[in-house]
Amino acid sequence: MNQLKSRRRVLAAGAAALGSVLLAPAALGQTAGQKPLRLVVFTKNLTNPFWNAVRVGADKAGKDLGVTIEHAAPTKPDNIEEQTRQVEDWIVRKPDGFVFVPVDYKALVPTIQKVNKAGIPIVVFNNRMTDVEQVTYVGSDDETIGYEITRHLIQAMGGKGKIIHIDGVPAAITAQNRKKGFERALKEFPQVELLASQPGNYRRLPAVQVFENLMQRFPQIDGVFCANDDMAVGVAEALEAAGRGGKTKVVGIDAIPDGAAAILSGKMLASADFSGHDQAYLAVTAMVRHLRGERVPKEIALPVVIVDRQNAKTWTMPVAEKPVPQWAKVVAAQKN
Amino acid sequence: MTQGMLALPRFLARLPADRLFVVVTRATALVAIVLVLSLLSPHFFTFQNLMNVLRQASLQFILSAGLTLVILTGGIDLSVGAVLGLSACLGASLIVSGHVALGIAAALAAGLACGLANGMLVTQLRIPAFIATYGMLWIAHGLTYVFMKGEVIHGFDKGFRFIGAGHVGPIPAPVIAAAILLGLLYVLLHHTRLGRGIYAIGGNPVAARLSGMPVNRYLITVYALSGVLAAFAGLVVIARVNAADPGTGEELLLAAIAAVCLGGTSLFGGQGGIGGTIVGSLILALVINGMNLLNVSTFWQAGGMGLIVLVSVFADQVGGRRVNAAVHHRGGKP
Repeated sequence: MNQLKSRRRVLAAGAAALGSVLLAPAALGQTAGQKPLRLVVFTKNLTNPFWNAVRVGADKAGKDLGVTIEHAAPTKPDNIEEQTRQVEDWIVRKPDGFVFVPVDYKALVPTIQKVNKAGIPIVVFNNRMTDVEQVTYVGSDDETIGYEITRHLIQAMGGKGKIIHIDGVPAAITAQNRKKGFERALKEFPQVELLASQPGNYRRLPAVQVFENLMQRFPQIDGVFCANDDMAVGVAEALEAAGRGGKTKVVGIDAIPDGAAAILSGKMLASADFSGHDQAYLAVTAMVRHLRGERVPKEIALPVVIVDRQNAKTWTMPVAEKPVPQWAKVVAAQKN
Repeated sequence: MTQGMLALPRFLARLPADRLFVVVTRATALVAIVLVLSLLSPHFFTFQNLMNVLRQASLQFILSAGLTLVILTGGIDLSVGAVLGLSACLGASLIVSGHVALGIAAALAAGLACGLANGMLVTQLRIPAFIATYGMLWIAHGLTYVFMKGEVIHGFDKGFRFIGAGHVGPIPAPVIAAAILLGLLYVLLHHTRLGRGIYAIGGNPVAARLSGMPVNRYLITVYALSGVLAAFAGLVVIARVNAADPGTGEELLLAAIAAVCLGGTSLFGGQGGIGGTIVGSLILALVINGMNLLNVSTFWQAGGMGLIVLVSVFADQVGGRRVNAAVHHRGGKP
């Protein structure tokens, strides 16, 4: 009897020791005795490398802060109905917080209001949402990034010349806002002529084919603005294949690794980044800080970084090796 | 010489009236589009642009070719885009590390495996093709996502890129590949037992079975071919754009079906052919080329495309029936 008891005690002690060893990394940075916070991070799809960088950034923050990160992304890229279902499922599973990007900033409002009603805090990143309660919004905005990279392009063209706009998915709000920024920049340079604006659906193959068609009509193209890098790399390839490489300056957005490689090799002029990796890292950090009762700024704006030949090297490396942003520094840079 | 010149009218005369209607309308549509675009844009009817259109149509044709065979049997393969993506990504991962031949073999093998699986599901488990290949669509997408983990593979060997981006003289390599494929599939459809089997199964599967045809074996072969050709199309695509990502092929399924329909192949099987798919692919490429050259607003393009497909299929249904009825009424050959 006694023996049994002592054996049980040993077992219990062993289990506790084992448990504390297993849980030790997770318990870092939070009060003992609590189970680690569990956050769900939403992304728009599993296909675009931008969202992969987001997931990597979120995972890094999860590891650094000792919280569990789970991911949710529609298998049909940017699918509203599927993301709605995923949010509803996650409300039932009651995570400690939602770190959320809407595939459509309007369509998801009623669904996110349900999250509000369920009392689960939410941090929105990358695409701004109105009419929902949120801890904070982390991101830049598509109009600014479209504006900044277009200005960079036109300045490199010497403030004049002929330009083409390759659009994303026409219905996507990101594409519409990037186009708005593009048009705003264009207005500042009356000597720049917009030759055409055609859709490449954010994808490389359609962008290549559309651009091949446009090259037939326009023997001289000085600059091309593409709504993302996937298309910009495609356009650069098409120019190269047609023997017109180097004469036309191509810019994109997102600074994906092969975009950065194209910039380094001179096929592309530049790209612009509002780092998905950094956004996600900061969004997760903001949520954890909020859950631990700290004050978090109402909005965390990230500066747009122009990626050109000088600094592109950093963007060619895998996201896993990217340095993480420093919370204190970013917060200090905020206006509010 | 006269024999050759007589071959075409004789071929046309042998066609039933509604098929004749399809051939005539497609030829007319093609000529009309070329004429209209030549009038509207001075940049259209140039050697450069026509080569450009041919190259884009070739890619479309290579993807739609296998699908045409499946549709001729009265089936459908909704997995072509997804299988293209999976094979392309598997192949790309090997090709980028220098194993070009191995990569090509792996891609084709993956396509073959998916196609065989489709064929088995349809014939052995008797799952309707629409459902079986729809399931395969998601399985292939899923495997691609898992395999790629959201990354992009880019920067392929120059030799490999020839198939997508190279030229032989002024002719783009994909055009030559498409021409060879057209020839092979034409012979397969019209001069082999399998080809006759495909039309027979599409026309009347019960009769085909009763006549002692190895229907299941033919069907499995056809789905396998569709998978392999999707994989081949995938290789051409990644050679052309010099990158493979998990979304490769996602947007290609509807265009692939559209090219077959535009080519006048009946979705109910048994009627149409590989020549039609060339015409369908050309019409698709021409319409997109035209919209780009004319700078048609981004918002109208998708709708315009859908409308053209609907009109063409509707014209076949109504027009073909009328013509048939008229011929019957006169007591002529149906």
